[in-house]
Amino acid sequence: MTEAILEARHLRKEFGGLVAVADVSIVITRGTTHSIIGPNGAGKTTLFNLLNGKYHPTRGQVILNGEDITNTPVYRRVHKGMGRSFQITNIFPNLTVLENVRLAAQALGKSNYRFLRRADSFKTYIQRAEEALDIVGLAPMAYSPANVLPHGGKRKLELAIILAGDPEILLLDEPTAGMASEQVPELIETIGAIRRKGGKTIVMVEHNMNVVMNISDRITVMHQGEVLSEGRPDQISNDKTVQSVYLGELYDLPGRQQ
Amino acid sequence: MTPPRNSLMQTLRENWLPAAVMLFLILFPFIVGALTDSSPMGVARGDRMVMRGESVRWQSVLIEVFILGILAMSYNLIFGFTGVISFGHALFFGLGGYILGMFLEYTGMDTGLAMVLGVVVGVAAAGIVGLIVGFVSLRLRGVYFTIFTLAVAEMCYIFFSRWQVTNAEDGFTIGSLPAWLDPTQSRLNFYYIALALFAFTYLFIRRLVNSPTGAVFKAIRENEDRAQAVGFNTLNYKLISIALAGMLAASAGMLQVILNKKVGPEVLGVSYTVDPLLMTIIGGIGTFNGPILGSAGLHLLDVFFRDATITIGETSIQIANLWGLLLGSGFILVVIIFPLGIIGTWQRWRLKARGRIAKAARPDPSMNPKTEP
Repeated sequence: MTEAILEARHLRKEFGGLVAVADVSIVITRGTTHSIIGPNGAGKTTLFNLLNGKYHPTRGQVILNGEDITNTPVYRRVHKGMGRSFQITNIFPNLTVLENVRLAAQALGKSNYRFLRRADSFKTYIQRAEEALDIVGLAPMAYSPANVLPHGGKRKLELAIILAGDPEILLLDEPTAGMASEQVPELIETIGAIRRKGGKTIVMVEHNMNVVMNISDRITVMHQGEVLSEGRPDQISNDKTVQSVYLGELYDLPGRQQ
Repeated sequence: MTPPRNSLMQTLRENWLPAAVMLFLILFPFIVGALTDSSPMGVARGDRMVMRGESVRWQSVLIEVFILGILAMSYNLIFGFTGVISFGHALFFGLGGYILGMFLEYTGMDTGLAMVLGVVVGVAAAGIVGLIVGFVSLRLRGVYFTIFTLAVAEMCYIFFSRWQVTNAEDGFTIGSLPAWLDPTQSRLNFYYIALALFAFTYLFIRRLVNSPTGAVFKAIRENEDRAQAVGFNTLNYKLISIALAGMLAASAGMLQVILNKKVGPEVLGVSYTVDPLLMTIIGGIGTFNGPILGSAGLHLLDVFFRDATITIGETSIQIANLWGLLLGSGFILVVIIFPLGIIGTWQRWRLKARGRIAKAARPDPSMNPKTEP
């Protein structure tokens, strides 16, 4: 349980004069669920963009399974087993729900450049997509256009898109963002189902403390582009510094349940 | 997604409209011939045929529709299905025309051989130019890419309007065509060749867009970032789309120079970018039939009204002088009434109507009490 799957070494990202991530080192252990929390502007999403390759770091390295992937583009990291969901819902709006997921399955197959056969004659991709939709509970909506899904449905579709790629490690950027609170337990259940499916590592940025404390094995707290603290959920919730900079602020946020 | 096709009859039933249109186009020269009492082959004078008569005239009109249709369909592949807006499509059209023309007139080869080589080299060159332009410029996003393609096409236009070898602005005429292809010797042969290429382009694009590769094109159009995050090297797919569209546009340009028997810098002009763009938008972006409807509609209107005059009292107005104005106003109207193009908006309406019907037809359990115990 102590083998590192993903590692960030002294990552730094500057946008012009703004330092979004100052110096972050994190080790993600295989098979764990690791949450990254921190106040707005702490650099969590930037860190995610560095981990998945959307941004290139100003300094530092990203290591996946012992391999330096700092210069590997986004699409190739997917082929190395890294899937990512987005904070702002990021789907293919005018394609069907099934097609959204089927594309993700196809991306990892070997028939992407076959242009004289019909896409729907490749049954394995459709099967994979249907399985993923089953897991997140969207199977009944498979043939609707993705943009007619309610917000919660789109968040689930995000999950199904990653699942169809069958990644070893899932980067989930605020999976509950903008969700009505009564939908959150269902989503926790879905993420739980993914964890139980075995072997999956989940890295998650999340603001909802219920979710974080419920399903995390480890928590990293970020503040102003740096790691403030790291530990098990019980350690973090008892950490005095964390309480002052982060949990303290969070208690004032509206809509939080406790 | 449609269920698997298992029989020719089923394929025909699902595609009755394109099949009917194809049949009509095959018979068209003879239909016009019968209606106007003219021969589709032209008029015999001594031992050769002269290209006169209504049937032959209308064959030319339709050949122009086919050329514009191929050009618009190829443009729609990039613009409508891959979501990349290029303003340099005339580059491919003109390049195809120039390369074929130069093979026929400047190499001194046997015309048959020059024809084959010209087509092969012209199409290949268009594909390669597409790859190069795309590779250099596709890193630019959105409007910067569009401006870049416009600049490249205009550079090419200026080059060929100054280049002495091809007679600069005057261009050159094509005199050495194989007899079977020469539109001044047999318009009907050329009509069927153009029709075959038109049908091929339609079928090819349909097949391509419904394939796994085409699925990625549409994914890029919908959300390129997401397509990358799902694991596609989107640059490769955009390059494939541009290269294939460029090759199809080059073949349209070849038909154009054969029809006119002349090559000049006008084939590189910006109108061969703007026309397919307008035709695609009016007909329906990202639909298979839209560009065809757009090109046929615009070109036929142009032909009908080109020589028309309206006489109101003392003043008579030549429509030709107003053509640009009419086209512009018509375009604005179409875009307002049919925001997705004629075919696209019609499909949307039909989907909506179906949704409503499906809802209304859903049985209400309370209205259906059980009569049997």
